[in-house]
Amino acid sequence: MAADQNQTLIEMKNAAFSFGRIPVFRQVNLKIARGEVFCLLGPNGCGKTTLIDCMLGIHTLDTGRLCLMGQSRTRHSPGETARVMAYVPQKHDRHFSFSVLDLLLLGRTPYTAFYASPGKPDIEKAEKILELFGLSHLMHRDYTRLSGGETQLVMIMRALIQETPVIVMDEPTSHLDFRHELMVLETLARLIRERQITLVMATHFPNHAFYFENAGIPVNVAFMGNQSVKPSGTPSRALTQENLARFYHIETVVMTQTLPGKGRIRQIIPIKTLDRETKGTP
Amino acid sequence: MRSFQRHRILWYGLIAALPLVLGACSVFLGRYPVSVRDIGALAAAALTGQGMDPVHFSVIVHVRMPRIILGALVGGSLAVSGAAFQGLFRNPLVSSGMLGVSSGAGFGAALALILFDRYVYVYPFAFGFGLLAVVLCFFIGRLTASTQAITLVLGGVIVGSIFSALISLLKYLADPYDELPAIVFWLMGSLSRAEYDHILTAGIPMIMGSVGLMIIRWRLNVLAMGDREAHSLGLNVTANRIFIIVCATLATAGAVCVSGVIGWVGLVVPHMGRMIIGNDNKALIPVAFCMGAAFLILVDDISRLISTSEMPLGILTSLLGGPFFIYLLRRTRGREW
Repeated sequence: MAADQNQTLIEMKNAAFSFGRIPVFRQVNLKIARGEVFCLLGPNGCGKTTLIDCMLGIHTLDTGRLCLMGQSRTRHSPGETARVMAYVPQKHDRHFSFSVLDLLLLGRTPYTAFYASPGKPDIEKAEKILELFGLSHLMHRDYTRLSGGETQLVMIMRALIQETPVIVMDEPTSHLDFRHELMVLETLARLIRERQITLVMATHFPNHAFYFENAGIPVNVAFMGNQSVKPSGTPSRALTQENLARFYHIETVVMTQTLPGKGRIRQIIPIKTLDRETKGTP
Repeated sequence: MRSFQRHRILWYGLIAALPLVLGACSVFLGRYPVSVRDIGALAAAALTGQGMDPVHFSVIVHVRMPRIILGALVGGSLAVSGAAFQGLFRNPLVSSGMLGVSSGAGFGAALALILFDRYVYVYPFAFGFGLLAVVLCFFIGRLTASTQAITLVLGGVIVGSIFSALISLLKYLADPYDELPAIVFWLMGSLSRAEYDHILTAGIPMIMGSVGLMIIRWRLNVLAMGDREAHSLGLNVTANRIFIIVCATLATAGAVCVSGVIGWVGLVVPHMGRMIIGNDNKALIPVAFCMGAAFLILVDDISRLISTSEMPLGILTSLLGGPFFIYLLRRTRGREW
C-alpha cells in the first residue's frame, strides 16, 4: 500500500470549461493523490459543482486533459469513470419509493451488463455494507421515508458498493443537523483510514478541511474563484486569515487548541463580513 | 410491501397465472355457447385430424382465440411501455401515449379510412404515423439542443395536440354516414378485428418492444435516479434512454395500430403493479405486462358480454379501471408514491 501512497488518481491539466460563452474556469491544474482528502472551497456560484461535473464526465472539458488513474483522455466513458469515482449527490430528488436495498444495488451498475441485474454476490455486498454501518434494519425500508441523515448515509453506502478508489461529494453535509453532520464526517474519516479511499469534496465549510486534518488524514485545499482554481496545500497553510479574507471577504480567527488525548484541534471562527473592496488585507 | 416480502414467490406466481387463467376462461365466454366438451372435441379433432362442427371450430379458433391472444399482447405492451415511460421520465402521470404515439396513430388510421376503401391500409398508416409522431418529438427536443427529459415531454405535448387537431380536421372532412363513424369507433378502441394475420404483423413490434424493455428493465431503476446520478453510476444516459423510447414506441405503436386507442391501460395498470409489488422495475416490468394482459382480456370479455353490439374498449377500460384503482388507493393508502 505504501508504494501506492502518492499515486495520482485524478489529474486535470490546463482544463477549461464554459457554458456557451460564459467561462466557468480555465487553466485549471490539479492533482489528487490516493488516500487524501481534496477539499474544494469557494463562494457560492464560483463553479465548484461544474468542476466536479467535469471530473465526473457529466460535462466535457472544452480544452485540457483529464487523467483518471493515469489514463489521459479528453473524454472518458461513463462506465470507465464510474469504476474510478463514485458520486454522492448534494441534493437527491426522490421520485419512486425504492427499498434501501434496491437503491444500494444501483451502485453495482458499472459491473452489470445492460441485460442483467445485480445478483446474489451484489446483494451480499449490500448486506455487508449495511452491517458495517450498523443499519441492517433499514434494508427493506422505503428509502423515501428515511431522514436526511439516513439518506446521506445510504448514498455514501451506495458509493462504497461502487468499489471505486475515489468518492466525490458535493456538499456532503448540507441539510444535516449537528449530530448527523459529525456522524457523516466521522464515517468518512474512518473509511479513508481503513480503506485508503480518496475523497474529493466541494464544501462551504472550511472547518471540514480542518476536521480531516485534525483526524490525521492528509488534506489538500484548493480555492476556487475568479474562474480559476488555486491549489493551496494543507489546511493549516491554506486556511489563513488572509486567504479567507481574499476568497470569502470575511474576517476570521483560526483557533488552535490542544486537547488531552486528542492532539491539536484547529477550527476557524468567523468574526464578521468585510467589504468587497478590502481585498487581500484583513 | 412487508407482507409482499414474505409472500414474494406466491404473488409472482399469482400474477403470472392471471392472464393464462383469464385467457383460458375467456374461450367459454361470449354470445355463442362453448362448453368444456367442445374444447375436448377440438383437441380430439386436432389430434386425430378428423373434423368437428365447423361453426364451433371457427368460433373457438378463429374468433375467440385470436381475440384473447391479441388482447393479452395489446394490454401487456401498453402496460410495459407505460411503466417504462413513467420510470424514464420520472413522472408517474406519464402513459404509453406520452410521446404522441397514440395521436399520431389515430391520425394515420383516420387518414387511411378516408383515403382508401380497404381496411387493411389502416394498420401500416397507424403504425407509421405513430412512429412519425415520436420522431417529431425528438426533433422538437433537439431544437433546444438538449436531450433532457423535459424537452421530450414538451415535444410530446406539442406533437400530441397537433395530431389531435389534425384528427378533428379529418373528422370534419369525413363522410358523416360512412367514414366518420369508422374513425370514431377506431379511436375508441376495439379488439373485434382480431385475426391471426394482424396478430402476426402487429405482434412483431409489440413483442420486440416488450422483450427489449424486459431485457433492459433493471436500468430503469438507474435512470430513475436522474441524469446526473445515472451518469455517475456508469450509464450512458442518452443511449439507454433512446433504446427504451424505441422499444416502448414499437410496443405501443404495434398495439395501437391493431386495436385503436385504448386509454388507461398504459397509465394506470403500471400503478396497480407498483401498489402490489413496489417500484423496482426488475419486478415491475414483467408484472405490468401480465397485469395489462389480464386486464385487457377481462375488459374485452365484459365488452362482449355486456351488450349485443360490442362496447368500445376505451370506454370500458376507464369505467372499470377507475373504481378498481380507487379501491387500490384505499387499500394501500397510496404508499408507493
